[in-house]
Amino acid sequence: MISIKNVSKKFSGVTALDNISLEIQKKEIFGLLGPNGAGKSTLMNLLIGYLDADEGELVVAGEKVTRNNLESRKKIGLVPQSIALYDDISAQENLEIFGSFFGIRKSLLRALIAENLNRVELYDRRKDKVKGFSGGMKRRLNIAASLLHNPEILLCDEPTVGVDPQSRNAIFDYLEKLNEEGKTIIYTTHYMEEAERLCSRIAIIDHGKIIAAGTLDELLLMLPYEQTILINKNQLTEHKKDLFTKFGTLINDQEKYELKPNEKLKLSEFFKMMEDNSIGYNFIDVNKPSLEALFLHLTGRRLRD
Amino acid sequence: MKTVLQLIRKDYILFWHDKPAVSLTFVVPIFLIFLFGSIFSGVSSGPTGIDIAFINNSGAKVAKKLESVLDTTKAFHLVRKFRDDNGKIVPFDTNSIKEYVRKGSAVAALIIPKDAFTDTSMGLKLKFFYDPKNDMEMQMIEGILTQRVMTQMPSLFMTSMQHKAETYLGNNEGKNFNKKIAETVSKYFNVDTAQILHWTNFSFSDSSNIDSAAGKSNFFSNLLQLDKEQLVGKEISNPNATRSVGGWAMMFLLFTLTATSTSLFDENKSGVVLRILSSPISRVHILWGKYLYNFSLGCIQLLVMFFVGYLLFNINIFSNFFNLFLVIVAGALACTAFGMLLAAVSKTAAQANGLGTLLILTMSGIGGAWFPTFILPPFIQILSKFSLVYWAMEGFMNVLWRGSNTIEILPYVGVLIGIAAIVNVFSVIRFKKGNLF
Repeated sequence: MISIKNVSKKFSGVTALDNISLEIQKKEIFGLLGPNGAGKSTLMNLLIGYLDADEGELVVAGEKVTRNNLESRKKIGLVPQSIALYDDISAQENLEIFGSFFGIRKSLLRALIAENLNRVELYDRRKDKVKGFSGGMKRRLNIAASLLHNPEILLCDEPTVGVDPQSRNAIFDYLEKLNEEGKTIIYTTHYMEEAERLCSRIAIIDHGKIIAAGTLDELLLMLPYEQTILINKNQLTEHKKDLFTKFGTLINDQEKYELKPNEKLKLSEFFKMMEDNSIGYNFIDVNKPSLEALFLHLTGRRLRD
Repeated sequence: MKTVLQLIRKDYILFWHDKPAVSLTFVVPIFLIFLFGSIFSGVSSGPTGIDIAFINNSGAKVAKKLESVLDTTKAFHLVRKFRDDNGKIVPFDTNSIKEYVRKGSAVAALIIPKDAFTDTSMGLKLKFFYDPKNDMEMQMIEGILTQRVMTQMPSLFMTSMQHKAETYLGNNEGKNFNKKIAETVSKYFNVDTAQILHWTNFSFSDSSNIDSAAGKSNFFSNLLQLDKEQLVGKEISNPNATRSVGGWAMMFLLFTLTATSTSLFDENKSGVVLRILSSPISRVHILWGKYLYNFSLGCIQLLVMFFVGYLLFNINIFSNFFNLFLVIVAGALACTAFGMLLAAVSKTAAQANGLGTLLILTMSGIGGAWFPTFILPPFIQILSKFSLVYWAMEGFMNVLWRGSNTIEILPYVGVLIGIAAIVNVFSVIRFKKGNLF
């Protein structure tokens, strides 16, 4: 469905994307996970033909993507990172404007607008000016504006920035529904929880390079351990932290110690050590491996550093 | 106190980094002070080089003297010849000089007729044709002309009378006549004969005698017969409103189109441009869309302004509507191009608006929207030709005031469209190189 081959892009000598290759299948929700400035938005801008790649080739639904090829854009809907709407006009007028760019007949467009507003639960507010909407409502309308031409592919560039958890969940539900209906979705985020929840496959991008790609399980297998043990930091554990190092590698995090256990770790011995040293069980937690941990493992940095 | 100083320092840092604010605080007022200062210091020394079409049909010495006086008057530039339909440079006659003024090539014409000063004349006759398209300018021309003629009148008149006496009596008879009169006066009033002869001996070239004759001005003022004829604009019911509507309309159109052009920055910042470009629309489409929107808005704004002028001030916009519309279209094209240029050369909306304010006030000031250009210093009058406001105003004046036909307004329309074309080419190059989107 989407083929990205050896794509590179530089801005004033700074490499934004460095020889990226990806294949995204139809009906996938594909996640691009990376910190701010990793190159996610640049890749999105290349996919919609907003920018031309310096090197490499992008093909979307059989159409080669360039700045001058307007045909490929009919197959894509972009949900921009910012709320790309006109504040001083109503939701309905916004959608009429953006829908008209795709040459949709007026009567059909009106029906599509009603349908999409209903789906994002904004139909009753259709005549209200956007500037009166909450952040979550604007985000939902931002998505609806990208779907009027019924695109095969939806590019979501961090569509939940600044949204409360309830609205975020509503957006996830909506995107999952769209995916069930057959839409291919590319979702960029720097929240690993979002990528873990939504995406069937994920590429981790950093400094313009894809450093890992695959399903969530495939990615987590890249970690040299399955689980870690989190130890709360307090006077007692700080005083006795050397005791933990016998069982694995202890990483000193901001609020906790994270113990990456040795392959030979026996939980019985570990708990015995805790009992012997009067360290309560409430001080520890078992942590499943995560994309955050993988990113840390691959780059030595946290996603939000 | 330290805290307050820190806050003051913070505001100065922010202010200094806000270039539009710096521009509006210092550059714009400095320029306006310079402009108004130049104008009002210029008024005291008077205007220079106003074209006055001129014919001297009189053979009288008085007329020749008057011509030389007008020729050396700094305010006027006497035009004696014109290019006829065959392209030949020929002297004016009465018909051609009137046509010259009617066409707007000069604001006034002065004819010293053949009978301006005959042997039996008791006064000087002059014919004055004028086009009061600019009321202030015309009042100033009339004032200077009258002042120059009247200043010379006593000496002109006395010299002429002496000349007549000499012609009539012969040179010796004239002197004998003067001597006998002086002797008679001396005998009865006990005054020296030589002194009386000195009093009566006004010299044509002695300027001190002009002043000494100033007391006789009431008498002499009746001797100038200025036969005035308004050639253009007689039928205009509200001349002042007709003169001013074009300039003000252009200035506000420029403000409007600057704001709409710089909206590209806001659309880009909000991500709307990205959204638009994610649909089957190219950057060229966006630029054309913005240009044509601004152009149509400009046309509508100008039409509304002139229609309001018609409703409120009875400005006659319908008798020459087609040509008015042509100038409106050309003016709107040029203003739109100006707005797009601002968007093309600026990096932010604030920068574009700051630069726009400076340029709009400058173009309006030197272009004649606030005051007539003839009172500006000569070098600013040259600069005013580079202002689209000047050409639009001239176009509107020709249509509304002079009732010019399509051929006659083509130069103004042509210049405006030319400005639009050149500015557009430059803008497109800048848009391609720039990073607006």
